[in-house]
Amino acid sequence: MSSISRPVNSPPPGYFAQKYVWQWPIRVFHWINALAVLVLFSSGLYIWNPILVPAGEPWNRFVMATVRKIHFAFAMIFVVNFVWRIYWFWMGNNYARSGFPFVWRRSWWRDLFRQMVDYLKLERGHRHLGHNALGGLAYTVFVIGLGWLQILTGLALYSESNPDGFWGTLVGWVIPLAGSSMAVRVWHHLFAWGFIVFSILHVYIVFYDGQQYRNGLISSMISGYKFYEADDIDHDTWIS
Amino acid sequence: MDRRLRETTYEVLSRHGVDRRRFLRYCTMITAAMGLPSSMVSQVVQAMESKPRIPVIWLHGLECTCCSESFIRSSHPLAQDIILNMISLDYDDTLQAAAGHQVEEIRRRLIEEHPGEYLLAVEGNAPTKDGGVYCTVGGQTFLDVLLETAEHAKAIVAWGSCASNGCVQAARPNPTGARPVHELVHGKPVINVPGCPPIAEVMTGVLTYVLTFDRLPELDRFGRPKMFYGHRVHDKCQRRAFFDAGQFVEQWDDEGARQGWCLYKMGCRGPMTYNSCSSIKWNNGVSFPIGSGHGCIGCSENDFWDNGPFYQHLAGVPLPGVESTPDTIGKIAAGAAAVGVAAHFGSFVAKRALFGDKESKPADATKDTGDEA
Ligand code: SF4
Ligand code: SF4
Repeated sequence: MSSISRPVNSPPPGYFAQKYVWQWPIRVFHWINALAVLVLFSSGLYIWNPILVPAGEPWNRFVMATVRKIHFAFAMIFVVNFVWRIYWFWMGNNYARSGFPFVWRRSWWRDLFRQMVDYLKLERGHRHLGHNALGGLAYTVFVIGLGWLQILTGLALYSESNPDGFWGTLVGWVIPLAGSSMAVRVWHHLFAWGFIVFSILHVYIVFYDGQQYRNGLISSMISGYKFYEADDIDHDTWIS
Repeated sequence: MDRRLRETTYEVLSRHGVDRRRFLRYCTMITAAMGLPSSMVSQVVQAMESKPRIPVIWLHGLECTCCSESFIRSSHPLAQDIILNMISLDYDDTLQAAAGHQVEEIRRRLIEEHPGEYLLAVEGNAPTKDGGVYCTVGGQTFLDVLLETAEHAKAIVAWGSCASNGCVQAARPNPTGARPVHELVHGKPVINVPGCPPIAEVMTGVLTYVLTFDRLPELDRFGRPKMFYGHRVHDKCQRRAFFDAGQFVEQWDDEGARQGWCLYKMGCRGPMTYNSCSSIKWNNGVSFPIGSGHGCIGCSENDFWDNGPFYQHLAGVPLPGVESTPDTIGKIAAGAAAVGVAAHFGSFVAKRALFGDKESKPADATKDTGDEA
């Protein structure tokens, strides 16, 4: 079982070997998602607090309208990309599934704990080629969990100008569930900040992890390949 | 009373000397008031000629009577016409001349004599705490009066935000346990007509629809008639062009305010409020708050009192001790994450500086594969 994710050919001491870990759909997802979150958050900030003040008559000024259009366009990109990632969860290699929280497996909990200790003690400890349990949990909570919440609240707000339309029929139930249209807005704003918290932690830990484990983590999101050394043993034992 | 009830609106009107021409004009007017196309006029005429009038019981609970105040100022169709001609308003303790036990007697008799036939209009809501003692009518708790009258009603119209979603008396911390009608009465169709108060023409429009077609109008997810609550104030607002342009009032006395720019940044609730204010307007179509330079406060939306402050775009999040917006909370969380990251990085650098780049060996996987995956 665990042999699937073990590097097969251990390199001689002092050399690196590489393994194809992130397939192209994962990499494409990652960068589109990063771009979408960036654009969505910044355009969202403007919609919340429109600080530009265009002078003149409104007949040929569409600043708010344009920013909202951008926000909606990237929201749709975000949704399609999100669905694409879910599809690839099933179709991809084992690494595409390695972030899943296997909460029913003792080995997953053990890895979660070990990873936290390793990060806190600033030690190398255990290696993974796929996601470690902590990373996987963070992606599940912040990207998948928050992603769903953001999609549902966002589409509900999007549907508000036409409650009987397609989106209103599909996700309009979110509004009574949250209590009121205002409550949906408040949640949408709160969740948006979750992505910022995540981005700060994510970017830092990726640099740290890549430096600490010398696994080429950052370039792997472009090339797909991760590096490992002679002593490195793939510890993704809890991934079957 | 019985003979009067079996009369149709047309019969009553002709008894009052209204000729056929004026009757048709009246039907055309209320068709328009209900937001229906002119092709529906013939159906309205037919209904007015053939359907017997419906008795209405109008209850007043925990409320300020602003709904009644609004209702009696209706211009199309005149509330007077509705009260006198289309419905048989048999009980309304603030409008009727009779008082005391006499009126309560009328209500009981109506329930007994016309079970399942009368329409129940409720203004205000019922406090439920301590057995409902915080609102009593004629020695009976309003909760009892409401449930008793609702039991045999044909349908219920919940007037205003009090009856439809609780309004101010149900705002946090809701000391009397006030609850809107649809949460208390079960198994009866309830039409919510929120607003504090609802627009007069909306009230008469809803009543006219029910009386004319003898069925409920199409309702949305919050039980509101779609014909009046299908769009947001924002969607038909006269300042919308300024919203799309990005031109916003920043202060009550700035140039933008003088130019009539959008009130979004002054806390306008138009983008989240379903109501007809921007199309039907108020006081016989004279104006509405946004037309007069004040933002919408969202008076017809759920929990609008709790979603304050009114002059701030987003509602405050009531955390114990602090009043903050979601964005303040977000900034604090992001700040905390940044501090955590900086602390970790600081210790990483310090460790390298103190102990050099002696990397710890990776753990031996064969030792801790542990339980079978
Ligand atoms: S004034 Fe209010 S309702 Fe009108 S466009 Fe601005 S935000 Fe919308
Ligand atoms: S404009 Fe807004 S606050 Fe004013 S009456 Fe209409 S819904 Fe209520």
